[in-house]
Amino acid sequence: MNMLKLLPFAIATAVASGHLLANEQQNNSRFALAGYGDVKYEDSELMDTSAFSARFVPIFLFSLSDQMHIEAETEISVDENGETEIELEYADIHYFLSDTTTFTAGKFLLPFGQYGPNLHPSWINRSAFSPGIYGGLGGHGGYQPMQGLLPVMSDIGVGIQHIIPLGKNQKIFFDVYMTNGLATEAPHDDEEDAHDEEPVQDEHEEVVVDEHAEEEDEHEEVDDHALELPELAFEATSADNNSDKAFGGRIAYAFLPGIEVGASYYTAKYDDDEKLGFTATGFDINWMGNHYIVRGEYIKTETDAFEEDEHEENKVITFDRNGWYLQATFMAGKMFNVLQGTDFVVEYAETNKINEAERWAYGINYWLDSRAVIKATYEDTTVHDGEDDKRFAIQYSYGF
Amino acid sequence: MRSIIQILLVASLSLLSAFSSYAAEKISGAEVINNNCARCHNARAVHEFSIPEWKVIMPHMREKAHLTGKETQAVLEFLELTSQRAPLAKKVASEKMIAPDGKQLFVQFGCQGCHSLKGDGGTVGPALDETIKNKGIGFFIKKLQNPQFNNSSSPMPKMPLNEQQIKAIAQYIKS
Ligand code: HEC
Ligand code: HEC
Repeated sequence: MNMLKLLPFAIATAVASGHLLANEQQNNSRFALAGYGDVKYEDSELMDTSAFSARFVPIFLFSLSDQMHIEAETEISVDENGETEIELEYADIHYFLSDTTTFTAGKFLLPFGQYGPNLHPSWINRSAFSPGIYGGLGGHGGYQPMQGLLPVMSDIGVGIQHIIPLGKNQKIFFDVYMTNGLATEAPHDDEEDAHDEEPVQDEHEEVVVDEHAEEEDEHEEVDDHALELPELAFEATSADNNSDKAFGGRIAYAFLPGIEVGASYYTAKYDDDEKLGFTATGFDINWMGNHYIVRGEYIKTETDAFEEDEHEENKVITFDRNGWYLQATFMAGKMFNVLQGTDFVVEYAETNKINEAERWAYGINYWLDSRAVIKATYEDTTVHDGEDDKRFAIQYSYGF
Repeated sequence: MRSIIQILLVASLSLLSAFSSYAAEKISGAEVINNNCARCHNARAVHEFSIPEWKVIMPHMREKAHLTGKETQAVLEFLELTSQRAPLAKKVASEKMIAPDGKQLFVQFGCQGCHSLKGDGGTVGPALDETIKNKGIGFFIKKLQNPQFNNSSSPMPKMPLNEQQIKAIAQYIKS
């Protein structure tokens, strides 16, 4: 709690010293404050609630030298119980080894796909919600009817980025990283404690999803696979439950200025004995035209679990899941002068095999300037083994 | 997985040698902005941040956008050029009082990094061939003096150009 009270002062001091420094050394400041914030009104049919929520996400940037750069992002928000939540989204140091190679260490956004590392800030995302295959990350508050495939955005470890420019308009990007990775979700009676220690959004979500599954259990016989899909804890921690690290990377090809396509891979052992693995493979596209943007991702996951055979011995079985989303934005303002600043957005997402669901989303955005936007999004989710959901949100978001 | 990476590495390295002349070329900051800064988010206005702030923000974007160090430097130089104030514009003007060189200004301020002219150039901005004919010289001057006047989310930087210089650029575009 004390930390919370100190935070405004810390920010104020940082800003003030940044300004002082900026004034002192006119041309070479070492600090900049950036970030984003948003206010959202969300109305959900399933939860039968409507609520305002707000977030403030400051980004602290420091240049220590031409080679060394530090970045940290915290997210400050108020949770359902009125408690202020502070989350460290990332805090890492880049070391620019050469013109084309960068080393990164710390807690950083995993270069898996594009939504997590590049598109999730609300002044960038063209929808007021996050894509269905990412669950609630960076978009949905509270319960989210679609279970994400890779509900992780950042983790602690080291990474390397390498760029190969192929002339002016083409590039190949390589990113590889090694991080602490995942663990099994804490047993449920520990829930309360876990909350106090780590107010992480995903936790709420997974807990609710689970209650949901239990409810179903009473009503009807459901595919037991759905119940057995192990719950994994994706939140980054400073400790690891095993010595096996998560490993992953992304290769992308960019045809500038309009197209970036990538393939990503992530793998980790999650149990204490390092016998059970989780693997995710993804493909992503970001295609930007004069009047439109098309963004999409496909993710496939394999999660191992123990199953007792007739001899009561554990054998490893693997659960497959996959899902994808495609979001199209039509920047009407660039075509018709009267509609200046207006976007129309359509998005489709589905998750398959386990916890199947489909979603259509429709949105209208109005840009006040290049980094401030009012978004209205309507979302219609069909959940195969559960309750459907319809929700609507208006979000005012600004980058600064 | 590993063999795919190896194949890609070999393929890209051989491509690299074919394209290596790029590294030696002088990189245009405007062109780098055109090619990289509107892919994830709307290109941000230059005047939102001071140059000392941009110097700390650009390494952040270097990593996100996968820019090379040279490209990052070129963007910073361009931002510095466009955020210079009017006095400099006057100085430039007085040196060349007789007639500012439209072509030279057009190149110096990277117009073609973001706009095409005679079918050649960037694409974040519209082609400039017909602008003056269709919208008039008054619009052109106003647009260059304050690019956000008719479009609050325009990423076009306000350049330190005086009216005389703007007219010279217009002359060059029409020629
Ligand atoms: C690969 C996606 C991507 C590209 C390409 C990109 N940006 Fe960004 N940019 C972001 C993200 C994401 C943020 C939000 C910051 C964050 O969450 O860390 C951002 C934020 C910013 C900000 C706000 C200040 C800050 O650091 O948060 C500025 C200014 C900016 N970008 C400028 C640029 C410029 C100039 C370029 C071209 C060189 C560029 N961006 C290219 C993804 C990108
Ligand atoms: C960093 C990229 C960038 C640079 C550099 C740039 N522009 Fe632009 N310009 C744009 C964009 C994007 C637009 C379209 C959005 C708008 O209406 O402002 C635009 C719009 C314009 C327009 C209005 C066109 C129309 O039909 O409405 C004119 C005229 C123009 N630019 C001239 C210039 C000239 C001359 C230069 C060089 C001195 C220049 N621009 C440099 C990005 C740029």
